[in-house]
Amino acid sequence: MADRRRINGPPGGTRPPVFASLQESSTDIANRAQRQRQPTELRKIFLKAGLIPTASGSSYLEFEPSASLAAARSNPKSLIPPSSALKLACTVHGPKPLPRSAAFSPNLVLTTHVKYAPFAARKRKGHIRDASERDLGVHLETALRGAIIAERWPKSGLDITLTIIEAEDDRWWGDAPDSHDASWGMMNVLAGCITAASAAIADAHIDCLDLVSGGVAALVSDDSSQSASSAPRLMLDIDPAEHRSILSACVVAYMPARDEITELWLKGDSSRAALDRNDGRTGHEALIDGAVDAARGANTVLAEAVRESIARSFA
Amino acid sequence: MASLPPIAIPGQRLGPLSTYSAGPGTHVQQSFIYASIAGPVVADPAQPKSQTRPTLRVSRGIPSKDQASSNPAVPAVTSKPRYNTLPAVDSIVLARVTRVQKRQATVSILVVLDESATQSQDQSRTASDNDNVASILTSAANPENHSSTDELRFQALIRKEDVRAVEKDRVVMDEMFRVGDIVRGSVISLGDQSFYYITTARNDLGVVMARSDAGNMMFPVSWKEMRDPVTGTGEQRKVARPF
Repeated sequence: MADRRRINGPPGGTRPPVFASLQESSTDIANRAQRQRQPTELRKIFLKAGLIPTASGSSYLEFEPSASLAAARSNPKSLIPPSSALKLACTVHGPKPLPRSAAFSPNLVLTTHVKYAPFAARKRKGHIRDASERDLGVHLETALRGAIIAERWPKSGLDITLTIIEAEDDRWWGDAPDSHDASWGMMNVLAGCITAASAAIADAHIDCLDLVSGGVAALVSDDSSQSASSAPRLMLDIDPAEHRSILSACVVAYMPARDEITELWLKGDSSRAALDRNDGRTGHEALIDGAVDAARGANTVLAEAVRESIARSFA
Repeated sequence: MASLPPIAIPGQRLGPLSTYSAGPGTHVQQSFIYASIAGPVVADPAQPKSQTRPTLRVSRGIPSKDQASSNPAVPAVTSKPRYNTLPAVDSIVLARVTRVQKRQATVSILVVLDESATQSQDQSRTASDNDNVASILTSAANPENHSSTDELRFQALIRKEDVRAVEKDRVVMDEMFRVGDIVRGSVISLGDQSFYYITTARNDLGVVMARSDAGNMMFPVSWKEMRDPVTGTGEQRKVARPF
């Protein structure tokens, strides 16, 4: 319900106008973010657990900013940063008693809240969780439910709250939305959420089967000329701002000690992947394998962060 | 026997089920014991009669001296322990009375006492545990935060017939508990959706801390009476046997 007694600002976000002539200019090519990493090279992850004293478990995660963002910061050509890097905080509250109205549950009742800060993305988010944020919460809940040993905590609830402080872009900011456009940035956010939530749960001493970590892989075609030779290539841990078009992407939540996937989210058309001729895998199999590899990489950071927080609490 | 890691993280393989048996903080998959929480790994030596294998467990980080001595790689814990253990059947809890009715008393559980601490005869260890409990109880006695913290604590009921073991039919709840008393009880059931069930029908269970009408801390004089040291008046309670 809008406030009718005052003169309100526009309901949606506003953006500064970008003129088409500006984009066509030669600076566009220079400003455009380019992937500097190898296809299988992951971004560095900063992860620290146990930072919030009032929560029973907490963690903070940051992805390394892309090389183009670092270059733009040292030598700014535009006021608009070329890409953004994920930053998020996770808190775990509980196990605590269920609300009086809830029915008896012999298991731990998991509640996940994912919320973007209003300033997290280029388009401002409201204070009420929108559909995409609720969707992320459901994906995160399935990812974590497979890892938590819920029957060890009867009659209790666990609240997991994730605050996205800086989100990933869905595309390069100057690009207009096109046909194979989707919220690719959300998939990176989900992978980060899974890894951070796992660290926070371990910090809260909730029984888990394994540390579960998230990974993203995508099929991208960077060639602007739409020739037949420019088949899409498989890349791990994509920054959507660095690619011209992403055809398909996949997030997994993966438990390496058991070699199990607890959550799988595959989006887009994965049939046109350019794989090795000897490679018998289909496009989506290659995508899932790539995402698992990325999750394995994230798991090494996760294990080290959990070990570090335990060593600190016992020091 | 393979050497155990000093600190385990969830999903870390600790040892085969043929050498150890699985304790708290671990789970078993394909006849191997895996850690399910992060913390120091403790191998409790096998009891000569009851079992043949040592029990592996991952400690939740409640400080104790004998853990540190059995596992020298882990330094003695001094930081604030977190009591996020749940009440289970037969666990001893400390609870504050929030409401006294004709047939039952409502309490909110403050602390679930560690089973190993109550069984342990080590004097220094019990002392350190009591220190922590004392700090929790004094924080709970602060009247300002009652309403907010009660929703975060597990609620429990002491029914009239669970107050004492003898003369159950003569129990008058008003003469057993008053609002604000600290009660030591034993959990008998996880109960329904909202309440645990607690019994005090043992000599060592009952009211451990209580204030008189005048507001002074009372000391126990018998199993059913506590006395105010200042005014000298006695009040009726179901008193726990002091150690």
